[in-house]
Amino acid sequence: MKAFKAALDNNIAILAFLLAWEFMSRIGLFNTMFIPPFSVVLATTWDLMVSGHLVQDILISLMRAIMGFLVAVIVAIPLGLLLGGWFKNTQSALEPLFEMAAQANPFILFHVIILFLGIGETTKITIIAWICIWPILFNTASGVRNVDAVLLKSALSFGLGKWVVFYKIVLPAAAPAIFTGLRLSAGYSFFLLIIAEMMGSNSGLGWFVLYSQENYNIQWIFSGAMLIGVLGLSIDLLVQYIEKKVIIWEVEERVD
Amino acid sequence: MKKVFNKIRGVIIRSSGLLAFLALWEIAPRWGWVDPQFLPPLSSVLKATAVLWDDGFLYTHIIVSLWRVLLGMLLAIVIALPLGFILEGWFPSEAKRLDPLFRLLSHLNPFSLAPVFMLFFGIGELEKLAIITLVAVWPVLFHTITGIRTVDPLIIKTAYSLNVSKLILMQDVLLPGALPTIITGLRVGTQMAVFMLIAAEMLGASAGLGWLVHNSAMLYQIPRMYAGGLCIIVLGICINQIILRIERNSLFWKDSIEFLGQTNRRTVNFTNSLYVPILIGVIAGVLFFGGQEVNRVNSQGLYNKDNMSHHNHPIKVE
Repeated sequence: MKAFKAALDNNIAILAFLLAWEFMSRIGLFNTMFIPPFSVVLATTWDLMVSGHLVQDILISLMRAIMGFLVAVIVAIPLGLLLGGWFKNTQSALEPLFEMAAQANPFILFHVIILFLGIGETTKITIIAWICIWPILFNTASGVRNVDAVLLKSALSFGLGKWVVFYKIVLPAAAPAIFTGLRLSAGYSFFLLIIAEMMGSNSGLGWFVLYSQENYNIQWIFSGAMLIGVLGLSIDLLVQYIEKKVIIWEVEERVD
Repeated sequence: MKKVFNKIRGVIIRSSGLLAFLALWEIAPRWGWVDPQFLPPLSSVLKATAVLWDDGFLYTHIIVSLWRVLLGMLLAIVIALPLGFILEGWFPSEAKRLDPLFRLLSHLNPFSLAPVFMLFFGIGELEKLAIITLVAVWPVLFHTITGIRTVDPLIIKTAYSLNVSKLILMQDVLLPGALPTIITGLRVGTQMAVFMLIAAEMLGASAGLGWLVHNSAMLYQIPRMYAGGLCIIVLGICINQIILRIERNSLFWKDSIEFLGQTNRRTVNFTNSLYVPILIGVIAGVLFFGGQEVNRVNSQGLYNKDNMSHHNHPIKVE
């Protein structure tokens, strides 16, 4: 009962929002042609899920996002740790280049990569990986660089070696920043994948939404949009959950 | 003398990566490592950029895109900053309850709801501004709330024990304390806003850098496409650098230590420098000239005087 109450309290805003949406389209404040009531959207989503087509699109989209994200993680975290201050000259040589690369918008790259790889799975995964690399890389590097001065001062005054300081102090202290990068990237990956799928694809949630838009099936559009939102949120929550499990030494500071 | 030498050495090292990349870009197509059809050498891309600039189109595209980003960001700040302060300052428990809803809404993709946006905002400038604002509002809002929440409690307690009013607390303690976080949010939001803008311009616009790239790709004008991409990148770097500089200066009260290389955090008290007036001047300039160009583009179209007018974009902004 208590858990139920807590859950209700946590999600009261979402419930209120959904109820308001339902109510407003039911009493005709919105034109149901353009904004169908929530219950109708939910029913449509259920039908689409049961028929199985949507499930496939969801899986394809998730697969692409996860693949791109994983590639980015594997590349970016080691690189970020190295750039965080080990090879000073390499770092200052590469930093402007990386900054430029980070600004290379995924949608410009889309056109460039299509030239080389065509419109295939690799193209989409490459784009997602490209987007995800930079937040992780920069956050890892700045996390390593901005470790609390007091911690470093005391570690150095104990006469610890560079490797020990790195392993015992820098890495744990930078972990929250690394996770910030991971969360940012996870958010980007799914958000921008949808747009990439809208621009050139014949499967996935983005394609589904575009298809619905072209056929002006407004209920499908809302189903797709809602699913995209919920999935994006779930990914975000998942990363947060992992962060909480991994970083157990960080004391949460909260002002109440 | 040694200082000068060191400085020159630093500059050389810093630019070496970029220069090597640019040199590779020039050499690889020339020596046939990659197909010059797909990747034209840097010099021909720069030539295409110069041609575009001479025609006067490039200026229009740049200023139109800048205008959209800037205005969208300003709208996002105007909405998110006060909302964050009011929520976290006066109704912290309500803020906590609203958080899940905000998170959910922040994951709504404006492009997936394009028809609904068209319904509310038409297909003109307003739609693009709405997309940018909707995307940029959330990072600013979340970072504002987090920033206020993570201000050192000791400082707040001290302020309370000095019996300051809530408004003064906001202004003199919470705002400076949360400022670095807020500006980080601004940076994240701007990044996202630029992404979205380019996508929006590609999917339906009649001017702007995103349109330039998309249109060039459709017409198979590869050097022009790269020229547009290069402009977007340079623009992104400039915006990012400006915000990064502000972010660094907003950390003026924080301690730093040199470890494993130098921290290049210079503390500038930017309240009594020319910083703020220049920034405001630039913003005002972009808004003014950009507004003019946007009006011109939307009222008469950009390419109706020469043979480029048959671009294959069905959506024409009225």
